[in-house]
Amino acid sequence: MNHNTIPTTKNWEEVVKRQEIITCLQKILDAEQINTNQEDLYDASADRYKKYAKARNVLDVPMPVAIVYPYNTEEISKLLKLCNTHQINVIPRAGKTATEGGLENWKEETIVIDALHLNRIIDIDTYNMQATVEAGVPLQMLEDELRELGFTTGHSPQSKPVAKYGGLVATRSIGQLSTYYGAIEDMVVGLECVFPDGQICRIKNVPRRSGGPDIRHIAIGNEGALCYITEVTVKIFTFHPQNNKFFGYLVKDIDTGIRVLREVVVNGFHPSVARTYSEEDAAQHFYHFHRGHCVLLFMAEGPKGIVDATSEAIEAAVALHKAGIIEQVDSVLIEDWFNNLNWSQQDIDDEFEGMKEHDAHAGYTTEISADWKSIPVIYHNVIKRIREEYPRAHDLTMLGGHSSHSYINGTNMYFVYNYDIHCAPQDEMRIYHHPLQKIIVEETLKLGGSMCHHHGIGKFRNEWTQAEHGSAYYMLEKLKSAFDPNGIMNFGTIFYQEEGHKFQQ
Amino acid sequence: MRRNSMKADHTEPLRIICLVKFVPDVDGFSYDYEHSRLNRSYQRMILNPDDACAVAFALQVKQAHPSAHIEVVTMAPRTVEPHLLDLLRLQIDTGVLITDPAFAGSDTYATTTVLETYLGGRSYDCILTGTCTLDGATSQVPAQLAQSLGLDHMQDITGIDLNSFDREQAVFTVEDDNDTYTYQMALPGILSLTRASGYKLPYIAYEDFTKDVSANLTVVTNQELRCPPEQIGLTGSLTQVVETFVPEHQRREHRTVQVDEDGIEYIYTMLKERGYV
Repeated sequence: MNHNTIPTTKNWEEVVKRQEIITCLQKILDAEQINTNQEDLYDASADRYKKYAKARNVLDVPMPVAIVYPYNTEEISKLLKLCNTHQINVIPRAGKTATEGGLENWKEETIVIDALHLNRIIDIDTYNMQATVEAGVPLQMLEDELRELGFTTGHSPQSKPVAKYGGLVATRSIGQLSTYYGAIEDMVVGLECVFPDGQICRIKNVPRRSGGPDIRHIAIGNEGALCYITEVTVKIFTFHPQNNKFFGYLVKDIDTGIRVLREVVVNGFHPSVARTYSEEDAAQHFYHFHRGHCVLLFMAEGPKGIVDATSEAIEAAVALHKAGIIEQVDSVLIEDWFNNLNWSQQDIDDEFEGMKEHDAHAGYTTEISADWKSIPVIYHNVIKRIREEYPRAHDLTMLGGHSSHSYINGTNMYFVYNYDIHCAPQDEMRIYHHPLQKIIVEETLKLGGSMCHHHGIGKFRNEWTQAEHGSAYYMLEKLKSAFDPNGIMNFGTIFYQEEGHKFQQ
Repeated sequence: MRRNSMKADHTEPLRIICLVKFVPDVDGFSYDYEHSRLNRSYQRMILNPDDACAVAFALQVKQAHPSAHIEVVTMAPRTVEPHLLDLLRLQIDTGVLITDPAFAGSDTYATTTVLETYLGGRSYDCILTGTCTLDGATSQVPAQLAQSLGLDHMQDITGIDLNSFDREQAVFTVEDDNDTYTYQMALPGILSLTRASGYKLPYIAYEDFTKDVSANLTVVTNQELRCPPEQIGLTGSLTQVVETFVPEHQRREHRTVQVDEDGIEYIYTMLKERGYV
């Protein structure tokens, strides 16, 4: 497809509509804030979910009319009002690292509101231990500022070098250090957001309150389906990297790894990193020492007393489950691995370039959570079903998983898989990823787990949103109809839409 | 030169036999260190890349000459069946899986014996195959087979002229480090391609993924071939494995250097000492 011309298949009425939208946008924004470059619009049509089809120029979804770059909350308010009045779909965007189709476009009349210019760190308050940033501030930027002062955000997703705060909060993101610092919802103390009718809401920054339901959670994790987050205030933490201690073990199975994780966490200890990997997943992360075994690893972080106590608890838990421990690994290897874990923009670009030439990509993940008892059962059920039922099992080049975020009542499981692609790029999802994801979601929901631990629902798990929430779906649905009665916010995200189903197949 | 193979009758359509091997995916190789053996429980097989080029070229021939008949032949365990069925979903006419526990452990000589027995009873104009396999890379089977069947053979082929390829002849190129050579060969013969040819298998059409092509697959065992037991499998193999072992790797000292003068000097010296620079 040549992205420099408007597709010829678009009928005249649609072309006029698109032009009318741009004319309306020009009344709110300067020309330089409205991007109609065809390459950029193609890029904005989908996120990393359809990365392979995107790289091969075979996306089946419409391009948005424009990407706009407001400078402030007032401009966003005007934009949303305009879209609400004229039934124009809005995709909020900040960071562009979505993996579940949250940034994919399913409507002809769509604008993408990008937080590019909402890029100010408004305040770093080291006495009250909080920092306020606009939605387009990169996580790495705030982290770098805080490190200069001896503090940290405590948030470290693999996308840290690229992700921005608006996206992190909207997708209910989690970082690799979550067991110590918490996930994004534990960090956000207040925020500002704009609703489709233009209403600007500021949720104040207080340590805690009992002023009715916690309304932060209407915005946190809304995935752009209810409102546009413009500003966020997050907790900050003191940083003690000199105290960090790393622990690594080869273990006989993933069940042993999960049992040790549980032992540490239920006893009240919070290593910042607490993970266990299946043999297959360990092989791709720890090729230099896994020796065909599962891997269990920890990082203890914080003030020295806490690190010492945590380390002691880790060693005690390992000793308790020594029957399943094969050997301890040199901690330097774990530290080196951790220090090179993040994906940079260069990594993302390299994968994209690779997909243009090769019938392969870096694989997919589906992340779920469940209680301690259920998680190993779900893991084994999924692996068994895929091996036995999936008709393309012989194409799988990798199938495994790891647990990387633990809580007192359970943990997550990050299923990881890859395959040789023998179909046309436009068929890849329906031949490979979707059937695999379906098995994972079904097995998880069957045992009462959550189908989406930290990537969000996006657009491709929306067919199970109702099953995910059960009778509480009533509440979720009411939020949508109350805050976005015209359905202009990120059409198809979280909420199933019959009209969008054709893009899911 | 002995020619005991059967050339297809000139009134019949062009007949190509693709001789392929499914090989372990080396990327997915795992080793059980405790018991010193390969972990084959989930050992994945893939179509040998050079052989895939041979099949891909055959499909180009079929596209140019729709009446052409392509048969893919492989000698392998039954576990490769799903891969073979995938080839049949690419408009390959027939697939033949030569499999029997009696063939297990066959070296290239015994393998040639089995394949020769099967191919000796087939009619064809050309046998296309790969030059090297990922798991062996000795390139012996096609050459031995050519000798047994009394056919001409050329390996390391990087391109075959589609326009001049017919039931009588093939014109093809072979490259080495210095030159490219063009040859003409009278058919029937065996042409062994390399990955450098760049022939790429087409994708399976979406609607064909669920197509039942099992009727086009024939399983041939030694009951049909009747190879003498002393000529096949481990017994018939001229190559005998005395011992297998995993090389002992020494654990080296771990050292992390910074991107500074000292770090760069250390890396440069190390590379120089080892002859890389």
